[in-house]
Amino acid sequence: MRAGVVPRPIVRGPALTRAALVLGAGAGLLLLALVVGVGLGSVAVAPDEVLRVLGHRLLGLGATSGVDASTETIVMELRLPRVLGAMTVGAGLACAGTVFQAILRNPMADPYIIGTAAGASLGATLGIVLPLLAPALAIGAASTWLGIGLVQLLAFAGGLGTVLLVIGVARQGGRLPSVTLLLTGYAVSSLLAAGVSLLMFASGRALAVIFSWLMGSLAGVGWADLAIAAPVVGATFVLLLARWRSLNLLLLGDGPAAHLGLEVGRAKLRLTLLATLATSAAVAISGTIGFVGLVVPHVLRLVIGPDHRLLLPASAVLGAALLVLADLGARLAGGIPVGVVTALVGAPFFLWLLRRSRRVASALSA
Amino acid sequence: MVPRLLGIPLLLIATLAACEPASPAGTGVTARPVASAAIPPASAPEAAAYPLTLTDDTGREVVLEAEPERIVSLAPSNTEIVCALDACDLIVGVTDFDDYPPEVADVEKVVVGAQVDVEAVVAAEPDLVLAAGNELTSSAVIEQLAQLGLPVLTLYPESLDEIYADIELVGRAIDRGDAARALVDDMEGRVDDVRTAVADLDPPRTFYEVGMFEGVIYTAGSGSFLASLIETAGGEPITGDALSTSIELEDLVAANPELILLGDAAYDPTITPEAVASRPGWETMSAVAGGRIVVVAEDPVITRPGPRIVDGLEALARAIHPGAFGSGS
Repeated sequence: MRAGVVPRPIVRGPALTRAALVLGAGAGLLLLALVVGVGLGSVAVAPDEVLRVLGHRLLGLGATSGVDASTETIVMELRLPRVLGAMTVGAGLACAGTVFQAILRNPMADPYIIGTAAGASLGATLGIVLPLLAPALAIGAASTWLGIGLVQLLAFAGGLGTVLLVIGVARQGGRLPSVTLLLTGYAVSSLLAAGVSLLMFASGRALAVIFSWLMGSLAGVGWADLAIAAPVVGATFVLLLARWRSLNLLLLGDGPAAHLGLEVGRAKLRLTLLATLATSAAVAISGTIGFVGLVVPHVLRLVIGPDHRLLLPASAVLGAALLVLADLGARLAGGIPVGVVTALVGAPFFLWLLRRSRRVASALSA
Repeated sequence: MVPRLLGIPLLLIATLAACEPASPAGTGVTARPVASAAIPPASAPEAAAYPLTLTDDTGREVVLEAEPERIVSLAPSNTEIVCALDACDLIVGVTDFDDYPPEVADVEKVVVGAQVDVEAVVAAEPDLVLAAGNELTSSAVIEQLAQLGLPVLTLYPESLDEIYADIELVGRAIDRGDAARALVDDMEGRVDDVRTAVADLDPPRTFYEVGMFEGVIYTAGSGSFLASLIETAGGEPITGDALSTSIELEDLVAANPELILLGDAAYDPTITPEAVASRPGWETMSAVAGGRIVVVAEDPVITRPGPRIVDGLEALARAIHPGAFGSGS
């Protein structure tokens, strides 16, 4: 099961070349996703117009004379923030998925597994339904707090709060046993999901809004959303990457990791909180988009191995690029939920990969 | 209202780019308009003075810099209001549900499958967007369009009086105040005729079936517009839950409707009086025993809060009190 468990130093010789190759390819894919994501949409905009708008507005090059004001709005205010939002969410979910799979040593682990999704869903659903139940709150829903709406705020707070609760219940002394964490997360999630169902039942016309949130959508992501989510995801990424050693050690299991000098309880607590922060920030602006956070780390672990120094940045880049492309597919298909696209495309690909390589489960511990 | 406290989006854009966010046709929504600009038009119709500040049904204040020439309508009822004011030719975007008047069939669809294509709305370069409230147009989309600098008026009428008010609001917005007043006068007259005709008649306990899906029965919610319309048409509405608009079968049986109106039959040919009468548990209702189950083919206008709502009201009144309207219509 655990052949070659000791983290090999990869930053040497051919390994360094490989890391550069992987990240270089990732950066290329990301750039491609950016160009295609901003260039295509439901309204056709000529590529040279896109480039002129971007060049002028971002780099101060040339002028946008001859480009419609509406085209400029579409590129700068609709597509660019949406594409960057997709990158933020994709990167955040893929990183969080990587971390949860390492902490829990469970191939089913995704960013939502210990309650983040259920808590965020309940928060968002409350944010959607409360203004309908209490019209006085409608002002609160339409208004924004530091550019963040009630739905985003409650989704973020719900995700984070739920995980804090789960950790509080699951902690035994200084330890945070994975099985207890998983089961507690499952039980709390079920409880909160019942609340979501209840609210959906009573939501009337807002049902479609709730449904679309639960399926995940990047429609309507603007600069304000990005200004909040991107720094959170960026900061947690840096802090997680700085803890690559802990992540690698945790793959060995709690016992061996402790023997090798890791304060397992504390490390898991910190990693869980960081990953939850990234997930909650991502989910707050996009709803619960599935599959990205589960599949991306698995795929990359099969391709580049389990060393988190490379795995985390590669997951971030691939997650970002994939979600941009999935969102583009969703937009071009007439605005279907992006979560449908990630599952439709992701699941068959994942199955194919599973058939090809029976190492998925063992890759987690090797 | 709608205080957008901090201009974070603007702040960020300003750091990314030198210019203001593009604002098609130079119109814009202001979060806090100058109070002196908000003088309501006098009751006597006159040429509207632009810039014009209007307050929509959600309390949002919207500034129109000039008389709108390109209107995007995000709901069929809004389209019908604009067209009834003889401004159909100004409409540059509608929904894929729009079917009236027929000439809007060729207008670009910016709402497909109840999803607003924001890119398409922006590309239509509207100087007035008419949205619908109560999440018919998603409130997130309304917020997004407003942030992009488009003047969005959200219409959410919940009574006949509010439909009149919305028609006059649109009339003011597009400088067709006279036409709006005349249209409302005509509607009020016809509603009064209905009221008069049913005034002295006993209101039957009326159940209006909006739909039945997977055994859940949907009807007029308590306090809803549909419920008040049934009342105006001379019926005593049996209502469901205010939010979900559903009613339990046992509550319906207990309410014992004397008249069942099938609004859903307008869309589903399998919904017939015979089919309804044979539903298990329904046979005890007076309406079923007395054979008073009526198909209401006018459901599309009954549930669409536009100028043709009066057609819907008259159809309801005829269905509830067939005797009171002679054989004339």
